[in-house]
Amino acid sequence: MTTLFSTDGLTKAYFGVPAVQGISIDVKAGEIFGLIGQNGAGKSTLMNLIGGVVQPDAGMMTLKGKSHTPRNPAEAHHAGIAFIHQELNLFTNLSIAENIFIDNFPTRGWGPLRFVDRRKLETQSVDILKRVGLSVTPDTIISEMSPGERQLVEIAKALYFEAELIIFDEPTTSLTARETERLFAIMKQLRSEGKAIIFISHILNDVMAHADTIAVMRDGVLMAQEAVSEFDINRMINLMVGRKLEQLFPPKSAQVSDKTVLAVRDISAKGIVKDIHFDLYAGEVLGVFGLMGSGRTELARIIFGIDEYDSGEIHIGETSLGFHSPRDSIRNGIAFVTENRREEGLLMNINIADNIGLVSLPQFANSLSSMIDHAQLNGAAKRASQALQLKSGDIGIQPAKALSGGNQQKVVIAKWLLSDPKVFIMDEPTRGVDVGAKYEIYSIIDQLAESGSGVLFISSEIEELVGMCDRILVMNQGEIVGTFTREQFTPDAILRAAFRETIADNISKAEVAS
Amino acid sequence: MKRLYENNLYNLLINNATYILFVIIFAFFALTSRNFFSTDNVLAIIKNASFVGMLAVGMTFVLLTAGIDLSVGSNMYLSAVTAGLLMRAWDIPVSMGLLIAVAVGAAYGAFNAFCVVKLKIIPFMVTLATLVMGRGIGTFLTESEQVDLPEKVNAFGQLRLLGVPMPVIVFLLILIVATIILRYMPLGRQIYAVGNDLEAAKKAGINTDRVIASVYVISGVCAGLAGFILASQVMRVDRSFGEQYEFDAIAAAVLGGTSLFGGTGSVVGAVFGAILLQMVETGLVFRSVNLYLQPMVKAIVIFIAVFLDSVRTENLTRLRRRFIRAEVEDVRP
Amino acid sequence: MSVVQNDSEVPGLTLKEINVGKSQPAPSGQQAIFKWLKRLLVSDYFILMFTVFAFVVASQFYGRLSNPVNIVNQLSNMWPLFAIAIGQTFVLIVAGIDLSQGSIMAITSVVGAMIMTGELNPSMFDKLPLWGILIDENGGLLANSNLAMPMAVLAMLLVGVFIGFLNGLLITRFKITPFMVTLVSLIFFSYFALWLTQSRNISGLPDAFIRLGDDGQLVSIYIGQKVDSEIARRDIPTLITSATVIALSLGLVASYILNRTVFGRRMFAIGTNDRAARISGVPTNRIIILVYMFSGFCAAVASILYTARLEIGRPTLGEGSLLLDIIGACVIGGTSLFGGKGSIKGTFFGVVFFTLLLNVLNAARLSPFVIDAVKGTVILAAALLDITRTRLSNSERAS
Repeated sequence: MTTLFSTDGLTKAYFGVPAVQGISIDVKAGEIFGLIGQNGAGKSTLMNLIGGVVQPDAGMMTLKGKSHTPRNPAEAHHAGIAFIHQELNLFTNLSIAENIFIDNFPTRGWGPLRFVDRRKLETQSVDILKRVGLSVTPDTIISEMSPGERQLVEIAKALYFEAELIIFDEPTTSLTARETERLFAIMKQLRSEGKAIIFISHILNDVMAHADTIAVMRDGVLMAQEAVSEFDINRMINLMVGRKLEQLFPPKSAQVSDKTVLAVRDISAKGIVKDIHFDLYAGEVLGVFGLMGSGRTELARIIFGIDEYDSGEIHIGETSLGFHSPRDSIRNGIAFVTENRREEGLLMNINIADNIGLVSLPQFANSLSSMIDHAQLNGAAKRASQALQLKSGDIGIQPAKALSGGNQQKVVIAKWLLSDPKVFIMDEPTRGVDVGAKYEIYSIIDQLAESGSGVLFISSEIEELVGMCDRILVMNQGEIVGTFTREQFTPDAILRAAFRETIADNISKAEVAS
Repeated sequence: MKRLYENNLYNLLINNATYILFVIIFAFFALTSRNFFSTDNVLAIIKNASFVGMLAVGMTFVLLTAGIDLSVGSNMYLSAVTAGLLMRAWDIPVSMGLLIAVAVGAAYGAFNAFCVVKLKIIPFMVTLATLVMGRGIGTFLTESEQVDLPEKVNAFGQLRLLGVPMPVIVFLLILIVATIILRYMPLGRQIYAVGNDLEAAKKAGINTDRVIASVYVISGVCAGLAGFILASQVMRVDRSFGEQYEFDAIAAAVLGGTSLFGGTGSVVGAVFGAILLQMVETGLVFRSVNLYLQPMVKAIVIFIAVFLDSVRTENLTRLRRRFIRAEVEDVRP
Repeated sequence: MSVVQNDSEVPGLTLKEINVGKSQPAPSGQQAIFKWLKRLLVSDYFILMFTVFAFVVASQFYGRLSNPVNIVNQLSNMWPLFAIAIGQTFVLIVAGIDLSQGSIMAITSVVGAMIMTGELNPSMFDKLPLWGILIDENGGLLANSNLAMPMAVLAMLLVGVFIGFLNGLLITRFKITPFMVTLVSLIFFSYFALWLTQSRNISGLPDAFIRLGDDGQLVSIYIGQKVDSEIARRDIPTLITSATVIALSLGLVASYILNRTVFGRRMFAIGTNDRAARISGVPTNRIIILVYMFSGFCAAVASILYTARLEIGRPTLGEGSLLLDIIGACVIGGTSLFGGKGSIKGTFFGVVFFTLLLNVLNAARLSPFVIDAVKGTVILAAALLDITRTRLSNSERAS
């Protein structure tokens, strides 16, 4: 195998703080190059350098034997580098074909009078779509497609541009299990066609299973670059974290009491969830497992009062919540850490203290004049952030967007802590959070339970549920299909329950319904 | 409310609400006013709609990129004033006058484009400022007097082709050209792309600056053209010429289904919106409604259309909501 | 600065100096100046300092600018604009926009006048739709009553708040964009005002009301030599009028709400990310409605101040370039049209800037049309300045 792309001593600093330092990697044609590292390890900066978003301070890159010095993303793109991002860069109002050819339409005509050659557009697109195994017509509008299908369109785009180096940045986050499998199959096919693939993922098992070479980054430095056979999960984690992780999960200190804090009684919402029935006890960490699209997030949104439901009842302690708004939920002591911090969790441009204070502002205000006691509020925010070991600058000045993913999540949790909730709903609290911060978030969950709150812990990572929960509910197609107690925990059995029916069957039925 | 979205008839009605509104209003005036539904009157409505219509076509381009052009009314005025003054001063032919108006309109649009693209000031501020500036410059040029156009312009203004008045023909031409650009030329598709996701458009290698600049120039050209054609009908350009046309143009585009947030809309819709607005106005004249009340009724019609559109959008998001369970036969309440 | 001055005296020499200076590493003193300039540019008070500086420079050319009478006149021009801009600032902070403020001014001006006017000439007004109902030849509903002024003011405020409520309700309940909702109410209510009065101004307002304008002086000053024991009235400029007190109190209350109260913090939250705010228990709809009501209230206050000064109820009040003045003042003061950013202090400076700019242009004896053209340019420049400032302060924060 020949080297397709390499970097030599690549260095980049922002405002004097080095983001990557002396990185030399070597990616061969026809291999999948796994790249792992905690958030903030410098992976994104490295990718931005390769993709021409930023320019290096020192070092050089070589692509196909030629010096690679892109001044902007377009130049990197034309040099043969394609990115498949977590957030896809597709135009949802245009068709597949138009998306693929958007900056290079096949045209006919003369001079300025050039028209899009629709026929050529169609035929060329069909060929490309075949290569990624997408069997829809090229004039399908993107907004009508699933996240998995959209990603295939992105890959088709990369293929059209004859990209030699394709970078997959956390590609599986929004995919169903079936779509993930298909994606890996396509990656392998691309490998057999002699493309080089950089595969970035937080899911170490996936990297182990599919990469040929693995590179580990930490604090902007390349820790290792070796064949996959040289690694096991433990070594990967050790290299990423830089210390031996004795254990992935904190010891459980909370005791489950027999006091129900949240009782969900036969909740149904047409087409979403059906007959959801469970109790959450004080001091309990109750896991909810399900594959993408199983209805777990929707259930959380219904309980918190964001979405409506048709029948059933929700009780908090002795109070029955009828049709309720998020405000009612908060008043009754529910907290909700949403799965997407950026859209629903944080005020990105606003300082950390105000973010933390948002939910419980009235607590810190004079009831008559509504005047906020800023000293008190900032004190409380400071205490909460210290309790969660938030790493930040001055919380009264630094905006939330300047924090790393893990610390942002801590701000969201701190915000809810101030309202002193009895029920904590956490939807994917460790998504996009690095290994070190994950452990800290687990500890927080344990402390919450210890202090007598009930925690509803929604996740798509079986390991963390098994490690953290007292019980696990498994959802499939909007129903609870299994309940596991701690002694019954085996990832195998839980997964099997989640796969009760084939997903393909489900999707086709859902399409008929809509 | 909960069950509404399951009703197919309801969906059908709400998805075509603006068109149904159009038909209802038309039917109302046709039935209650004699001569409303006559070839002459229908042509007159389209003719009178064509000025706002041309602006609305240009406005659609701008709105598609999630921008806005508040300056089109002033642009009309400045273009018409410049053309009128030069025609009077040098006795140049009408065609040259038309070219001058279009050139001034394009330059006006180019200035907007420069401020938006190069200076990176948001379109609302830019065009609000140039709205005031343009009228100021125009009034300065005319020393606040009205400009009477030479008689030959009148001949041009009254031209007919197969009985169709000239403004309608120009309007139709603009419509066709705009449709071709938007649907069949790379630029048009890129305009939709930019409006859908600017960042993604940059990453995809689209020259977004060029695309955004072009929509303001196109809007400016439309305004220059509309200014000259309108002037050829009224034969004089006074200080209030084209005033508040920007609001009618935006309303027409929005009535035709164009979003203020970019990415969705069509010029055919804008044309249709302009005709709807003019129809209401003409109908109210037929019904001899008080002059002051007419714009109020128009405002209500705009509101109803916008309101129906919001109901439709909400309906659409509800339909698009991802269903997890297949519950075809399930009839639980 | 000294380099620039040299430049005009001996251009050849300075050019050389600059070149020499460039080839050497910049001395730390220069860096310090650069840093100081940068900090000045980013400062909250930059607009105010710039305005004062520009005013001092301009008054070297146009002497009468610095005349106390002129200064005081300009100050009195400022208050209605400040009042209305406060409301717009609130709306902009929650990521909305209120285009209808001008029409609220028109309608409230007309309604107030119709209630309290003392007499109306039947030959001019008997075509009015409300002739014989609300108004007749003896004037408005409460003509010549002691209650006329307070009731009229109350009615004006209520009408303003009500229109704001309608705006807010339609925006939140039906999820129509603020731009379209307020555009429709702008058109509707401006013509409603014209219809009510058939385009006529209504005069005959009671003195008690007119005193709310400039005439209601509370504190007067006399700057100058004391020559005679009697000073002519026109030489005593009014420093503080009722308008001053009203607008400044409104500003203080608004500033208090924005910075000190739960309501204000929640407004910023909504403007930054309304979904996150809603999930965090912020009653977004209620706050947005209240904000538009407040905007209507501020427009009504401005209308009271203008109407009192003009001494007529005017259906065309708030037309023309007022919208540009309002939004321009807000933007110059650092309020973002994207929401989540803004302050009353900034808006105040923006208003001062605007008023003095207008004053300078007037002093230069430019025609109103040229003034419009220049005003547009200045707004563009100000917007550009704001962009630069934001960029600078961001880079400062990042480093």
